[in-house]
Amino acid sequence: MSAEVLHKPAPEYELPVRNSSPWRAWLWLAVPLLFVAAFFIYPLLQIGAQSFLDKSGAPVGLENWRYEIASPAVQTAVGTTVKIAGMSTLGALILGTFVALALSFVPFRGAGFITRLIETVVSFPSFLIPLAFSILYGRTGVVNSVVESLAPGVPPLNFVNDVPGVVLAEVAFYTPFVVRPLLAVFSLIPRELIDVAASLGSSPLAIVRTVILPAAVPALAAAAGLTFLLTMNEFGIILFTGAKNVMTLPMLIYTRSIVTFDFPSAAVIACLQVGLSLSVYCLYRWITKKLSGAHHAAAR
Amino acid sequence: MLSTKKKSGRTQTMTIRPPQESGVVPEDKANAVELRNVSVTYGTTVALAGLELTVARGETVALLGPSGSGKSTALKAIAGFEQPSGGRILLDGVDVTGTSPAQRGIGVVVQSYALFPHMRIDANVAYGLKARKMPKAQIAARVKSMLAMVGMEDHAHKLPRQLSGGQQQRVAIARALAIKPQVLLLDEPLSALDASLRAEMLIELQALRSELPEIAMVYVTHDQSEALTLADRIAVMRNSRLEEIGTADQLYNRPASAFTAKFLGGASLLPAVSTTVVAEPGSLASVMVGAHRMKALAPFALVPGDRAQVAVRPHAWQVSTRSQETSVSAVNSLPGRVESVQWRGAGHRLQVDLIGIAERVTVDLPALSAVPAPGDLVVLTVDPTHVVLVPAGAVA
Amino acid sequence: MLLHAKSARFTIWAFLAAALLLLVGAPLLVTFMAAFAGSWNGVLPSNPTLDHVGGALATDNLSSLMVSLQTALFASLLAVLLGTWAALCACSSPANSAVSRVSDAVFHLPAAVPSVVVGLGLLTAFSKPPLLLNGTVAIVILAQTLLVLAFAYSTVSAATRDADPLIPLAAASLGASRLRVLVTIRLPLLLPSIVAAAGLAVALCMGELGATVMVYPASWRTLPVTIFTLTDRGALFDAAANTLVLIAVTVTVLAVIAKFRGKTAVR
Repeated sequence: MSAEVLHKPAPEYELPVRNSSPWRAWLWLAVPLLFVAAFFIYPLLQIGAQSFLDKSGAPVGLENWRYEIASPAVQTAVGTTVKIAGMSTLGALILGTFVALALSFVPFRGAGFITRLIETVVSFPSFLIPLAFSILYGRTGVVNSVVESLAPGVPPLNFVNDVPGVVLAEVAFYTPFVVRPLLAVFSLIPRELIDVAASLGSSPLAIVRTVILPAAVPALAAAAGLTFLLTMNEFGIILFTGAKNVMTLPMLIYTRSIVTFDFPSAAVIACLQVGLSLSVYCLYRWITKKLSGAHHAAAR
Repeated sequence: MLSTKKKSGRTQTMTIRPPQESGVVPEDKANAVELRNVSVTYGTTVALAGLELTVARGETVALLGPSGSGKSTALKAIAGFEQPSGGRILLDGVDVTGTSPAQRGIGVVVQSYALFPHMRIDANVAYGLKARKMPKAQIAARVKSMLAMVGMEDHAHKLPRQLSGGQQQRVAIARALAIKPQVLLLDEPLSALDASLRAEMLIELQALRSELPEIAMVYVTHDQSEALTLADRIAVMRNSRLEEIGTADQLYNRPASAFTAKFLGGASLLPAVSTTVVAEPGSLASVMVGAHRMKALAPFALVPGDRAQVAVRPHAWQVSTRSQETSVSAVNSLPGRVESVQWRGAGHRLQVDLIGIAERVTVDLPALSAVPAPGDLVVLTVDPTHVVLVPAGAVA
Repeated sequence: MLLHAKSARFTIWAFLAAALLLLVGAPLLVTFMAAFAGSWNGVLPSNPTLDHVGGALATDNLSSLMVSLQTALFASLLAVLLGTWAALCACSSPANSAVSRVSDAVFHLPAAVPSVVVGLGLLTAFSKPPLLLNGTVAIVILAQTLLVLAFAYSTVSAATRDADPLIPLAAASLGASRLRVLVTIRLPLLLPSIVAAAGLAVALCMGELGATVMVYPASWRTLPVTIFTLTDRGALFDAAANTLVLIAVTVTVLAVIAKFRGKTAVR
């Protein structure tokens, strides 16, 4: 790159809207900002405050924190949350990559329809899947009653209310979140690249590995980050499976506050969860920014 | 995978092939590429209809035609990127119809270069060799020699985006040649380059061609000068079909169709009626163009009254101005009025409306010659050897 | 284009069909069949009945549906309004300015926090002075607004980034005031994305459970909460029928919005 390019003068035109002074821009932004501050930031701070009070509202210092962090229930919940999110993300990534690859590179009539169907499913309620799972594979579900009538005595299937059921349901629900960005990236890969790679002697699997996936790394990382964040925060699916031994942090917050009315305890756990979620969120933003920045440079 | 045929020089061994039911002329050597009645359809659209084509070893065949003429589809069918809906494709006498591109071992260079954007130049060139599981040391040596051949050895560690279009093109050629293919396919390789670079690359391709006497090349282009420069034979494509195939000299000087005459060299076509009997194709015929008598090469037999068209290249015309509308009676002379004059750097291009015939012809004047002005009356004269008859009726 | 052998293609398609059937087909199909099943003890349901769907449309559940619809529409409207407002502010400032960075961070944030925590926060903050919202309809609407605000904001701000910056400039050069450019040029060009954001917001609100279940008052029970109660009780077929109704209504609303979107698309 020559020096002229680096010292390129700024574009001669400036958008008129950009001439407005910064304080005016802040003033305009104030309305939506105040809304979020009043109904989101302030409540989060209130949760923080609540975590230092006891049930009657008297300050107890770090007492709640000390108790909750030492409690095996909370420790297990953190582990379970991360474990379920990790497994679900991995499953959704594998399945989603396969679906996107097949839809993009092994095209067939109706692939467009399938793509639209997948996009529609994203807007359906997440509890649709655990509900269907319960009907099919639940303790008194269809599969068990069929098995029971065919071969009495065979132990009934009981994975729905357990970790596998939750992970399976989350994989099913979050796979479209991986498929969509990948389809967008795959559609940008020129067909000639794949044709030429094939003519040079690469097998389909090798082309996926050496040509297609390297182009999809930023999208894959972004999808993985987003899916991990959303599965870590997932509540509806776990609530619907009614799994007693799948106690993730959101489930614990719900149980402590709504079922047992232990708001100080719920507040501490909520703080832990927010800390965890925001760390993942920041990591996700950082990675996507870095990768998309690198990619942007690559396009030049 | 990699075909490991030995280079056996120009002399080919006889290959025994099954007798063919259609009376195909027996060949004394296997063609590097042979297309037998190959068709490609997308849904209901016919992209290529019944193409018959052979390319011998060491031969360059250009597929020339406007966009949508099926020339790129033909190349994709040879490469295996498109599966033909009918017909057979043979490489070195072996039927490869239905096999994947990876099994064909053909070198392909496409218009967009299709360099792998995340790999350095040396990795791009090594790609096909790695797919063949060649030992690392051999790969390094081959990559080096390939990059040297295209003059890119100094750029081995750059990424494709750091190279100019012409440099990327060279890498694409090196990458295709690294696998030592028997057949090299080039799909509009120069069309993404600007005019001066295109001329330069054309010379380089010509030099490259002479370094690779064994390789059969198929060169797809819409540019007649590329085809004339590089090709031993030119296949003119039109509307998904092969219009005509022959040597550059044949097609340029004795086109068999009006389309070829017009597309290859931009000839003007004028309706003509034969006044003589031509029994022996290739001799001179007398025809009437409007009220004017012309002599022209007749590539086909004629009897008086037969309709045909005369084709004349823009630069074949001689132009002389005349002061007034006198009658013109000399053979091969046509009166006209200059409609427009266009300066094209290396000369002038005139559009001349013929008087008495509702036709307009294109005339190229060489540099430094006297240039008439629009509205001037002129007489156009052409040597009979520069006039060729093409069949009438075919829409150009 | 990747696979040239027919057999390989068919293998991939078979796997794809299986995956899609399990992911998309099975849940929808099972819910549909269960909604009309009197009993289901074999491979296929038996004693087809309209009782469950009828029940889903009877007084109690119907009022839940209306509650859901009203909440979703109000919350979406508010979210799209605020999201568009913020997106317009952000795009009016240079890409790396403090204004656009702060708004990007702030308006994406609610989506990063679990819905349960959003609900808990509202409950904690507004069960006491200065503002008492606990037990009101407003707290449900607020919860859903916050959760979909990020989606509305990112949908519209993506469109503002893709928009040609020279078009408003051209309008301004023709003498249009800033307000006029906003109303006659920028908003109409953004309308397709605004409508798309509205559709997404409605769909997400209709199925929202996590925050709603934390804050809803007994008098304002949304359909997902009702469905959860039914599932918890083991009335799976009734839950399926209500889910079917929920999806049907959501799809209808989305179709209406999509129709509107088609009209707003710039050709």
